[in-house]
Amino acid sequence: MNPLLRVRDLRTSFGSGRSVARAVDGVSFDLFPGETLGIVGESGCGKTVTALSILRLIPEPPGQIADESLVEYGDANVMTLAPEELRRIRGAEIAMIFQEPTTSLNPVLTVGTQIVETLRAHREISRREARRRAVEALELVGIPDPDQRVDHYPHQMSGGMQQRVMIAMALCCQPKILIADEPTTALDVTIQAQILELLADLKRRLDMAMILITHDLAVAAGIADRVAVMYGGQIVEEGPAATVFSNPEHPYTAALLEAIPRLDRTADRLPTIPGAVPPASDWPPGCRFHPRCPHAWEQCAAEVPNPLGVARDHRARCWLVYEPGRRRP
Amino acid sequence: MSGTLHRLLRQRRARVAMALVALLCLAAALAPWLVPYEPTAQLDLVRGQYLAPSAEHPFGTDFYSRDLLSRVLYGARISLAIAVLSVVLSVTIGTAVGLTAGLAGGVVDAVLMRAIDAALAVPRVFLLLVVLVLWENVGVVGLIAILGLTSWFDASRIVRAEVLSLKTREFVVAARALGLGPPRLALRHLLPNLAAPIIVTATLGIGQIILTEAALSYLGLGVSPPTPSWGSIIAEGQQALAVAPWVAAFPGVAIVVTVVGFSLLGDGLRDAIDPRAR
Repeated sequence: MNPLLRVRDLRTSFGSGRSVARAVDGVSFDLFPGETLGIVGESGCGKTVTALSILRLIPEPPGQIADESLVEYGDANVMTLAPEELRRIRGAEIAMIFQEPTTSLNPVLTVGTQIVETLRAHREISRREARRRAVEALELVGIPDPDQRVDHYPHQMSGGMQQRVMIAMALCCQPKILIADEPTTALDVTIQAQILELLADLKRRLDMAMILITHDLAVAAGIADRVAVMYGGQIVEEGPAATVFSNPEHPYTAALLEAIPRLDRTADRLPTIPGAVPPASDWPPGCRFHPRCPHAWEQCAAEVPNPLGVARDHRARCWLVYEPGRRRP
Repeated sequence: MSGTLHRLLRQRRARVAMALVALLCLAAALAPWLVPYEPTAQLDLVRGQYLAPSAEHPFGTDFYSRDLLSRVLYGARISLAIAVLSVVLSVTIGTAVGLTAGLAGGVVDAVLMRAIDAALAVPRVFLLLVVLVLWENVGVVGLIAILGLTSWFDASRIVRAEVLSLKTREFVVAARALGLGPPRLALRHLLPNLAAPIIVTATLGIGQIILTEAALSYLGLGVSPPTPSWGSIIAEGQQALAVAPWVAAFPGVAIVVTVVGFSLLGDGLRDAIDPRAR
């Protein structure tokens, strides 16, 4: 099967001169039709910058996407599209929703107007027709009384309701790909589950592919078909969600999974990863995780590991794949 | 918006200002029915010159025996109409330029803003005097155009600053992520968010323009006689300050009241719209 979206060697940096923050540094992945790819990692690992770079929403300057970066959608390289062509892809082919529904909606426009404007940005339809479709879109995302809610302002709705509106707005032009950047982080746990269920359901019904960005491994495990674990602006491990979570190859993935509190294990302290994420302007040489890695040896500090195949569809950026014997118990 | 009105009405200053402005607008609108005499009618050139205020002529009469109350009321019409229309013109241009500069950024922004800096470096009154001296008999429409075209610089800077801060708000990024182009973004998403600063700028601008227009008419470069405007009535009354001070005094008071009214209303609106300003 051909991938719907091919990302190759995506590099996004901020600033110039002496302090260049290489926030995304050589990210490559494929997204296949109908699948959900979870991108996980802690704050500052480059998840959001990756997502914004795909749609070229990084403010330039200070941001800068390297020339050799490739984001292939259909026949087009999104990185080199003219502004008008880029505009036509955003929302109609690849849509994106954000973490904070409260700030992602315009406070002075009714939710209906905002959906209508998105529709009219891509389709030649009358205001009345657009409004009818806006009501349909609200109905699709499970908002009760859509024909009344369409005239409400964002502040008249709860956070969960607002996120549903954002989803309706993102999906009203039937995009092929939905990028959801931490769509449930700002919501409480019960609402979180509802929104995730809604996203999974809509993805199936509308036959979309989805990139779900989250720092919550449980969310990724629950909804993603494949996961990509990011650390230090790079993907360190990638594979089917079930495999990655049951047999993590990269020590970073393993450490993240260890750090999840579990009901069946009583411990005084949760396991943590020693140290902190280094700043993006000063990545360590070699493997970026080696200063915090319990298995590291000289090679880790000296040479940058490339993504290495563990199995056909499971890869990790770690020398341990070559020398499994060095893994400490 | 109802919250804004509520906060506006809670300020005593703003209530007074609203009452003043409403009264003025009403007087201007109803002038033809309110005035006791035609504003240009010379009632009695022999015995009616410079009559002191009385029951018959509450504001007195001028050199040509015209009823001053009628002239001041009609002057309100002219002065307010000129002020409102030129403010509409200046705010429209200012908003368009500010939106363009703020949203486009880069070279477009730099060129527009430096051009405005250069324009602001020329003293406004001097600029107006040159234009009006060169353009004889401008008429009311011409005056509105000149006043409007020379007063949008501040509005455009205010709008640009506001756009720059709105641009980084997440809902603008979200709208761009869904494929809204610059025109749709500017008109549908940004403009409604700019309503507050624009209304405040416009309200304060009206007071400013009334002063400017009065100054120009006083210098004989604005509205030409016999059309009554507050500035030209003061100019006529100046010759008789010693014998009939009321001729210059009443339009003068009218100007003060109007400018104070609009300024207080503008300040009140700003406080009501922007909670941080208090």
